[in-house]
Formats: sequence, structure tokens, C-alpha cells
Amino acid sequence: MGKSISVTDLKAWYGDSLTLKGITMELDANRATAIIGPSGCGKSTFIRCLNRLHETSPGAKMEGSIRLEDEDLYTMDPVDVRRVVGMVFQKANPFPTMSIYDNIAIGLRLGGIRNRTELTDRVEKSLKMAALWDEVADRIHTPATALSGGQQQRLCIARALAVEPEVLLMDEPASALDPVSTLRVEELVEQLKESYTIVIVTHNMQQAARVADKTAFFLNGELIEFGETTGIFTNPVDKRTEDYITGRFG
Amino acid sequence: MRKVSSASKNADRVFRVATGVAASSPVVFLVVIALIVLVQAIPSMKFNGWHFIYGIQWNMGNLYGALEHKNGVTAAAGASYAALPFIVGTLASSIIAILIAIPISMFTALILAYRVRGVLQWILSILVELLAGIPSVVIGLWGIITLAPWVRDNLAVWLSHLGPVVPYLRGPVGTGLGLLSSGLVLAIMIVPIITATTRDLLMQVPILYREGGIGLGMTTWEVVRYICMPFIRDGFVGALALGWGRAMGETMAVLMVSGSAMNLLPHNLYSPISTMAAVIADQLDSALTDASQMAVHALAELALILMVLTLLTNFLARWLVTRTGRRRSTKAGVAA
Ligand SMILES: Nc1ncnc2c1ncn2[C@@H]1O[C@H](COP(=O)(O)OP(=O)(O)OP(=O)(O)O)[C@@H](O)[C@H]1O
Ligand SMILES: [Mg+2]
Repeated sequence: MGKSISVTDLKAWYGDSLTLKGITMELDANRATAIIGPSGCGKSTFIRCLNRLHETSPGAKMEGSIRLEDEDLYTMDPVDVRRVVGMVFQKANPFPTMSIYDNIAIGLRLGGIRNRTELTDRVEKSLKMAALWDEVADRIHTPATALSGGQQQRLCIARALAVEPEVLLMDEPASALDPVSTLRVEELVEQLKESYTIVIVTHNMQQAARVADKTAFFLNGELIEFGETTGIFTNPVDKRTEDYITGRFG
Repeated sequence: MRKVSSASKNADRVFRVATGVAASSPVVFLVVIALIVLVQAIPSMKFNGWHFIYGIQWNMGNLYGALEHKNGVTAAAGASYAALPFIVGTLASSIIAILIAIPISMFTALILAYRVRGVLQWILSILVELLAGIPSVVIGLWGIITLAPWVRDNLAVWLSHLGPVVPYLRGPVGTGLGLLSSGLVLAIMIVPIITATTRDLLMQVPILYREGGIGLGMTTWEVVRYICMPFIRDGFVGALALGWGRAMGETMAVLMVSGSAMNLLPHNLYSPISTMAAVIADQLDSALTDASQMAVHALAELALILMVLTLLTNFLARWLVTRTGRRRSTKAGVAA
């Protein structure tokens, strides 16, 4: 079951430059929230704070509070956080030295699953969830890097799903994909939000409109507008949101 | 379309010739050196036969007496040359060095690549590079003055307590000049080069893959173990082969701390030894006084064996890489 995340006055820095200038928002459990906004506005930085990946960058700092249901994310062990809050990156990054199977099994093995049949079952299940199983069933022990870009991205989704997180962060998961693969990913998000809390960064307005229940518009490190997706797209309150979604934005 | 002037055509021709010469010069050097060493070694091969490889005595014979003729070559009366103690000394000391250097280099490289940043990273990297630049005679001197007494009075005494468990650790611990000190000195000399290479390799692991691991909930160590090390494995083995080759060929420092054993195989970790490189340097002077020149030829054969052994370890390392690498032979699509 997904968990909700509540962010309060989140500030994030790279070195001395303040990239997120105090974000406060609630991410509902078992719903998909889209983050939109122009390039460089801090979307990636924001979701990287949600699984504490931000602090691994050189010179990166954050401040404020993020709660996962009733736990403070920043008093938890970061490794535990990342097992509960999974992430899919903008660029597909399957582990290049591993087979398709191992890419998924590694997270399970490190999580303590040793039983071979259980591993195999969970790998198969994850690949099916990511709609990749049919394409790779006969070659799961071949190198992951031999897959196409779209397949690699779905493998990364399967890898993240295998360890059964409660929250799934997706940073422009379809930006490098062809329309068919994009559609697959969107269908997947549609399914997944029944059992996961999903945060998806996207540049594609239609995509946000299609998959997200709620949408947040970021600009220059600030949250400008946040609400039900239909509201944001049909009846934005802020002038800047309107400019952005109608493409009248610099 | 731009017309290519004849001047730039000429420049291109010069460039091609120059790069051709530059590219082929390593091969030419290797072949020429190998040929000279081989030619110099042939009389010794004829005189000593296979005994050279498995025999123990190195004896230049009576340099002022009559000459002896055997298999069409001449040597001083009573001369006999054999290299086994030096081969064993070279292999043993270099293997000890590489075994010590592997963990030290790996962890230092990890720290340099991932754990420290900014000025500290810079300073530590400079230190490693400075260590690589210390002349080997200086390290040898330090070996004699500091390391050997410490080995004799502390390390060897302590290790010899393990004698009942591991036979080669049994005493007597000797003078401190010997196999263990040689291995330690060699380790110090190859750690910087392995560390620097490994650090560069680790820094080349795309952040994307490391973040993939971190994002999956891997600990720092797990990221290193399952993502970074497999990623750099080929280069790492190459760095080890390079270090091993250096350890086998290192001359001065080893000569100073080895105890210069002749005609004797090491019987424990503290025995005096000699390596092929050290013997060549050590014996060349007296070898030149041999009127029959057989002593020089014997040293040339020693050099030949050293070269072959270094090449073999390199091939061995590469073979290990390709053999274990077959499972993931398809590297296509790695946008590194
Ligand atoms: N590792 C980093 N070091 C320094 N500055 C960074 C780093 N990563 C991002 N930034 C800066 O932080 C700001 C926000 O970047 P971020 O990646 O969050 O933007 P984004 O909204 O995801 O953009 P895009 O849509 O292009 O992915 C940018 O100005 C960027 O230059
Ligand atoms: Mg981004």
C-alpha cells in the first residue's frame, strides 16, 4: 500500500545556490502527482529530496521537513528510505555489467531473499508489471545493455518495483521513449497508482493530464500552483501557470 | 566547397607519416630489445641448457684459469649458472607485494574517488602521486634503516608465532633483510600506481549507474561491490598486472633490502633472497671481468626470463579478464 508524503518548507541548495525556495505540499497516498515546470526549475531536485538522493551530490544541502506518513524521512536511515521510496531516472540506467535477471534480482538479494524459486518468481512478476516480460522472457540471462532504450527504461521500472516500495518517484520516465513505449509507461502508472504513491516529473502536458490525479507547477524553485489536474489544466488560478500550460512561456 | 590547398595536403601527409612512426615505435623498441637480449642469451642457453631454470648454483668459475669448452661455447673453468633462486625470489617477493597492495590500493582509491572532495581530495591525490615519484634508491635506504629493523624486531617476531599454523611463517626471523622486507618495499612502490589508476577508473563510473544503485537502497559498500567494481574490472586487472610487472622488474630498492642471497632457495618468509633484476644489477660488474663473456650471457638469459615472465603475467591477467568476462560479452549499448 502506498504512503502519503508531506513536505514542509523544503529548501535545497547546490553549493551556495538556493534551488528549492521553500516547498510545502502534500502528496496523497495511492495517487499520481505530476510535477511540471520549465527546465531548471528544480523538479528533479525536488524528487531527489524525497528519497534523500539529493544529499549524495557534492555540496548539496537541504532544510525543512519531509514526512512519510508519520515518520520523519530525515531521521530515518537513508538506505531504508530508498528501499521504501523507489526511483526511476530520466535516463535509463540498468546496471551495465548485469543480466536482465540480475538487474532485478540484485535488489531482492540485498533485501535478504535467497530462495531461488522465490527470486525467479519475483523477477518474473516485476517484469510482467513493467510490461516487459513478453519481450524478454526467453533471454533474461542476457546482458541488460542489449535491450532497446525503451526496454531498458521499463527494466528500470521493474527493478524499482521488485523491492516493493511504497512510493515510486519517476523523473521524466518517458522523455527518451518512442510513443508506443511512452503509452506503455503511462498505462503502467495508471495501474500502479492503485498500490503505490506515484510522483512523476514530466515535460509533457498531455501526459500529466492523462496520468496524474494532481499536478504541481514549479517555477524557479517555487511551487506556484498545486491542485487537481483537471483544475490546473482547465482553470488555472495563477497567471504564470496559465502561461506555461498554454505554451506562452519563455 | 572549400578547395584543399596543396600545403594542407602536405601537412596531412607529414602528419600521417609522423603518427605512423610514433605508433610503431613501441613495437620496434620491444622487438629490438627482445632480439638483443635473446641473441646475448643464446651462448648461455647452449652452455647451461635447461639446468639454468631448475638449478640452484650460480658460479662464475675460475676467472683466471683456463677456459672450458662445452656445446660449442666457451666459459671460465668450473662455471655453472642457474637461476631458480632468483626466479623464486622474484615471484615470491612480487606476489607478496601485490597481495599487500591490492586491498590498500583499492580502499585508498575508493576514498579518493568517492569519499573526499574538493581540496582534501586534491591534496591526497597529490600525496599519492608524490609517493609514486620517490626514487627507488631512497625507498631502499629507508628499507635498510627503518623497515628492516622493524621487521626483524617486531613484524617477523609476531608473524613467527603463527609458525605452527602456517609453515612458511616459522622462524628464524633472520636479519630483517629478506623476502618479507622485499615484499613490503615493493608493495610501497606499486601502491601509488595501482591506486592512481584505480581512482581514475572509479571516477569514470557514470554517476547515473551509481545513483541507480543508491536509489535502489544500496549501501555505499554495495554500490562499490556490485556496480563500480564490476564496471572497472578489466581496467583494475590491467592496473594490477602493471603493478605486478613493476614489482618483478624493480631493482634498486630490492637489491638493498633483499639480503642478496646466492645459491640458496628461500626456506621461510624471512629468508634472504635475490631477484632476477637485482642480481643483474649486482653481478654485472664482476661478470664483465669474465674473459669468456659467459657470465654476461648468463645475465642476459636472466633478463630474457624476466621479460618473458613479465609478459606472461600480463597475458595471464588479460586471459583471466576475458575468461570471466565471457558471460557478459555483449557490451553493446553501454553509453559510458
Ligand atoms: N549537481 C548539481 N550541481 C549544481 N547545480 C545543480 C546540480 N543539479 C542541478 N543543479 C541546478 O539546480 C537547478 C535545478 O535543477 P533540476 O535538475 O532540479 O531542474 P529540473 O527542473 O529537473 O530541470 P529539467 O527539466 O531540465 O530536468 C538548475 O539551475 C541546475 O542548474
Ligand atoms: Mg530534471
